[in-house]
Amino acid sequence: MSPAGLVSALARRLAWISLARRRQGLTGLVLVAALLFPLVHANDADIDSMANAAAYATLALGLNIVVGFAGLLDLGYAAFFAIGAYTYGILSSYQLMPPWGAFWEPLQTLGLVARMAGESGSGDVVHFTLSFWLALPLSAAVAALFGVLFGAPTLRLKGDYLAIVTLGFGEIVPIVVRNWSSLTNGAAGLNGVAPPRIDGYSFGVSATPYYYVAVAMVALLIFVSVRLRDSRIGRAWMAIREDEIAAAAMGINLRRYKLLAFAMGAAFGGMTGTFYVAKLQTATPEMFGFPVSVMILVMVVFGGVGSVWGVVLGAFVLQLLQSWWLQDLTLWLHALGRLVDSGWLQRVDLVPSIELIFGLILVGMMLFRRQGLIQAVRPAAALTFEQQHAELRRGGLGDLRLHGLEGPGRTGAVALDVRGVTVRFGGLVALNSVDLVVPDGGVVAVIGPNGSGKSTLFNVITGLVHAGEGRIALYGGDITGLPPYHVLARGIARTFQNLRLFPNLSVIDNVLVGQHARLKTGPIAAILRPPRTRAEEKTAHAWAMEIIAIFGNRLLPRIDQMVDGLSYANRRRVEIARALASNPRVLLLDEPTAGMNPAETLELAEQIKSLNGLGLTVLLIEHKLDVVTTLADTVYVLDHGDVIAVGKPHDVRRNEAVIRAYLGRRASQAADDLAGDVHVA
Amino acid sequence: MTNFDLLLQQTINGLSLGAMYALLALGFTLVYGILELINFSHFNVFMVGSFVGLWTLQMFGLSGQDVILTGLPLAGVLLAAFAVTMLASGALGVAIERLCLRPLRDVKGPAAMITTIGVSTILFNVILLSVGADSKNYPNPLPTVRFQLAGAVLDLRVILIWIVALLLMAGLWLFVQRSRLGKAMRATAQDPEAARMMGVNVDRVIVIAFFAGSALAGAGGLIFGLYYNYTSFLIGFTTGLRAFTAAVLGGIGSVPGAMAGGVIIGLVEAMGGQFIATAWTDVIIFSILVLVLVFRPTGLFGRLAPVKS
Amino acid sequence: MLLEFRDVDTYYGDLHVLKQVNYAIREGEIVSLLGGNASGKSTTMKTIMGVVRPTRGQVLFDGQPIGTLPTAERVRRGIAPVLEARRLFPRMTVFENLEMGAYLRKRGPAFQQDLDRVFTLFPRVQERRNQIAGTLSGGEQQMVAIGRALMARPRLLCMDEPSMGLSPIFVEQVFDIIQAINRQGTTIFMVEQNANMALSIAHRAYVLQTGQVVLSGTADELRRTPMIREAYLGEMAIPVGCQEKLLT
Repeated sequence: MSPAGLVSALARRLAWISLARRRQGLTGLVLVAALLFPLVHANDADIDSMANAAAYATLALGLNIVVGFAGLLDLGYAAFFAIGAYTYGILSSYQLMPPWGAFWEPLQTLGLVARMAGESGSGDVVHFTLSFWLALPLSAAVAALFGVLFGAPTLRLKGDYLAIVTLGFGEIVPIVVRNWSSLTNGAAGLNGVAPPRIDGYSFGVSATPYYYVAVAMVALLIFVSVRLRDSRIGRAWMAIREDEIAAAAMGINLRRYKLLAFAMGAAFGGMTGTFYVAKLQTATPEMFGFPVSVMILVMVVFGGVGSVWGVVLGAFVLQLLQSWWLQDLTLWLHALGRLVDSGWLQRVDLVPSIELIFGLILVGMMLFRRQGLIQAVRPAAALTFEQQHAELRRGGLGDLRLHGLEGPGRTGAVALDVRGVTVRFGGLVALNSVDLVVPDGGVVAVIGPNGSGKSTLFNVITGLVHAGEGRIALYGGDITGLPPYHVLARGIARTFQNLRLFPNLSVIDNVLVGQHARLKTGPIAAILRPPRTRAEEKTAHAWAMEIIAIFGNRLLPRIDQMVDGLSYANRRRVEIARALASNPRVLLLDEPTAGMNPAETLELAEQIKSLNGLGLTVLLIEHKLDVVTTLADTVYVLDHGDVIAVGKPHDVRRNEAVIRAYLGRRASQAADDLAGDVHVA
Repeated sequence: MTNFDLLLQQTINGLSLGAMYALLALGFTLVYGILELINFSHFNVFMVGSFVGLWTLQMFGLSGQDVILTGLPLAGVLLAAFAVTMLASGALGVAIERLCLRPLRDVKGPAAMITTIGVSTILFNVILLSVGADSKNYPNPLPTVRFQLAGAVLDLRVILIWIVALLLMAGLWLFVQRSRLGKAMRATAQDPEAARMMGVNVDRVIVIAFFAGSALAGAGGLIFGLYYNYTSFLIGFTTGLRAFTAAVLGGIGSVPGAMAGGVIIGLVEAMGGQFIATAWTDVIIFSILVLVLVFRPTGLFGRLAPVKS
Repeated sequence: MLLEFRDVDTYYGDLHVLKQVNYAIREGEIVSLLGGNASGKSTTMKTIMGVVRPTRGQVLFDGQPIGTLPTAERVRRGIAPVLEARRLFPRMTVFENLEMGAYLRKRGPAFQQDLDRVFTLFPRVQERRNQIAGTLSGGEQQMVAIGRALMARPRLLCMDEPSMGLSPIFVEQVFDIIQAINRQGTTIFMVEQNANMALSIAHRAYVLQTGQVVLSGTADELRRTPMIREAYLGEMAIPVGCQEKLLT
């Protein structure tokens, strides 16, 4: 058999194994290689470099959570590295030595401090002897606390400015460290940091035990990252990254999740700081400045923002570039120089130019491959034009039951009560004392010319915009002024006029975000994945599929495809599915059929009608009046922020004020001609 | 010296520093006003400018305090130094825009800003690797002339700096307010699409903004060298922080804001250094930055808010 | 024929915003483009100015295809826009805004002539020439916006929703001025939602609905047909293929 034949035969064999199994196999291989490495290659310097590389990998993983998952550009990440380092350093070196007192005795029993004779005859002093293993979680916690502290002021800032504030904090930390000498020994650096000990065995000079600790840390943090990424938490972060406003409207508490991302990322950094300083047994402020933050950012960008394995690979490649390959490359250039008799080549030293190389890589990646080595989002294969516009088959509600509703039929209660709501933007009155009632189980439509305030009405109901006056109640409960995620939790879901999907998430993930407020998995459960969490995810998936099935094979074949590649009509359907996934009692649809052709419009109108038949209350902004006539019991007409007509669709269409609002005012014969057979109001 | 004397002296120092920061902040704000881009590389263009100034002066045979010039030769040398520095820095800015930023013009998100971080790193390291880490002495061709102002001393250098800075700021002001291109720049900053519909070549306007901003940065670099008598590869970072804070404090995107902010930060640095401690100046400046961004993002004069609506 | 659209199709991604659209505007006319929300009116404006390129079809000005020309070139050839919601440069003075309208022209006697003409048409504008544009009322801003476009000495004035956001008194004034400008020789192509006002001064009009021209004719004819009300109030009222083309 020819070599080519052999290769293709092998490929065919391997193709049998599923993608997931292949990935597991690869992971296993990497793990085994990592474990065997020091045994196979006994060079201590090289093992040390790998240990450093692993440490930077954990830093990259931490930054990846903040930047890659949650989309928060943190330019001061090295601060957490510093905080972790100095936490352990201070509590295990000879730096701090408060005088001995009875207070310290219980801590001595716990092995956290030791008693030492003081200098030149003064009293005994305390020597902190915090164990490295205890310090790891402690520094993580301390760093996480600072993560929250530094992140809190940035919550409402635009991306660029968030970056600047984090840069600011990132610089304040080394400066404080440098100047608070009594605590940190200032610029001279913290020395004599104790190496880790296990069972009396101290780690000492050999790099190998550090290497294994580092590998364990990387493995652990990869595990945590992947678990978080594929959980409710990860989805929430990515929703925030893609579109904050839509994320909030789908029930995500922006403040909490942003701070969580900062805290998580900081915790990774803190742990790494402790490890690094334990390995070096010394810490100086210079180790944690802006260039270090930039270096970690370059590793993340180079490896692939958002890709767990990508940033690990990026960190290893760049770190090893610095410790291994640049030296070899330099020697090779020297040899080349001797060959071509070039004095310059014989003298050049690439090693100090590592930062320059990082800068070039950063610019290069941004210009030519922004997604990095390993792309975080793997787009499913694009469908052909025919597949995208295939006929509807087996769509419809089937056995669908909408949770959270008492079932079909109108109870006579008032679902949504908007009373006297006024909204002002500067001097402009967008809504003027608007009253609107949506009965339970009903369909109400809001129509009106451009700029009449329809979307503002939706925005004020869902909490995106503040009402200057007035009250909004949902089934009797006041929801005026509640933030968007709270409004969703109470049972109002919405779609947006200009479509606000999460572009880099798949169809199924978009819909699952809608479920966010109904699920309970927190970060710890997301990482540990107890049976309760697994069951919850399974139920959420099943529910999402049921909702998607409403749209039949428009969406079912595409659940893993990124929404970016979908047709306009399909994207509208995904947005509606996402809103439905949150088990709303009231659904607000903002021009759901915009951009759809008549056939698609009819199809969607039928689907909305069926959903209403199951008991879902609907408030609808629409321009296509035949849709309004088919669906709506009541129509409100807005013009310049005022309600100018309320009634049945047929009556409203003939209302003189309405016609004038659409066609424009002018006191002349022309207006009467246009108005045609008008009933005098 | 009495406290009042110290205060006066530090006011003089503060105004000199302020002049430099104002020039830097102005250049930065010019670009931000049009592109809403935080250009990190701006401050290392300043640093490169100071080295270009150094080399230009050295080409005239000046070094240290050996050669003192007066009158016309002095004016000629300084003029040449400023001209060369500003042209070179301007060209560097334009190169950065064409090569690294224009391809990213339509990309949403922080891609362009991250690229400027990369460019900044490149400039920083190129200089470091070429000239080394130690600071370089700046030649001082000015005669040592001192004036007594109450209990404080006013150096000729300082007066020179004030004059140059004022001239440059006035020049920029006139350009932006009166010239056709300057008005096109303002229009583009306020509404790029409407400006395009008037026939404005937005690409060219952006290039000019980069040129002007970078030229100002270069002038600032030369002023730094003349004032402090040294330069090093590090000055971009430390000075940059202050200038950036000045721009934000004054109101990002606002020309008068940049000037006012520069003066204020200059005074803060001078007073802080005298009455608190130089070590903590950085922390104070950073704190001002963070406080402004958190509590009054539009700054003193600004209209572009760094906050999400 | 000053401006023509021939079988123009425009897509935003896969969204079909203009469908086989045909316009013909003769020199000296006032032609209005009517339609409700999301009908394709603003896309038409953007296509004329060059902000959007048509996917298929031709855009001709004075017989020459302009579909691939940059915006500045179109302005140079004689098309000037009055933008939706005015979009004056808010922190520049009224006078500077007018200057920007003449950005591509040289300062000289012609410039001064046009300036005088604008001041004559809009005495309010002359009064407020040194005021910051952002501080003017909506109606005054509209005057300045029209004046700014006139400073380009255009042959074709493209107006995007001139009545939007204005009080009724100003609306009357603005439309009177549009007529006056037209009588002085400028062709006007006007996108308007206020069909009443538009038809009272236009010579001819087109009605757009979801990207298609569903009605066209003289203002008189359109005023008399009941179909226009349906076109505005009901996006699905007129099925494809039943277009009423009363007169070209």
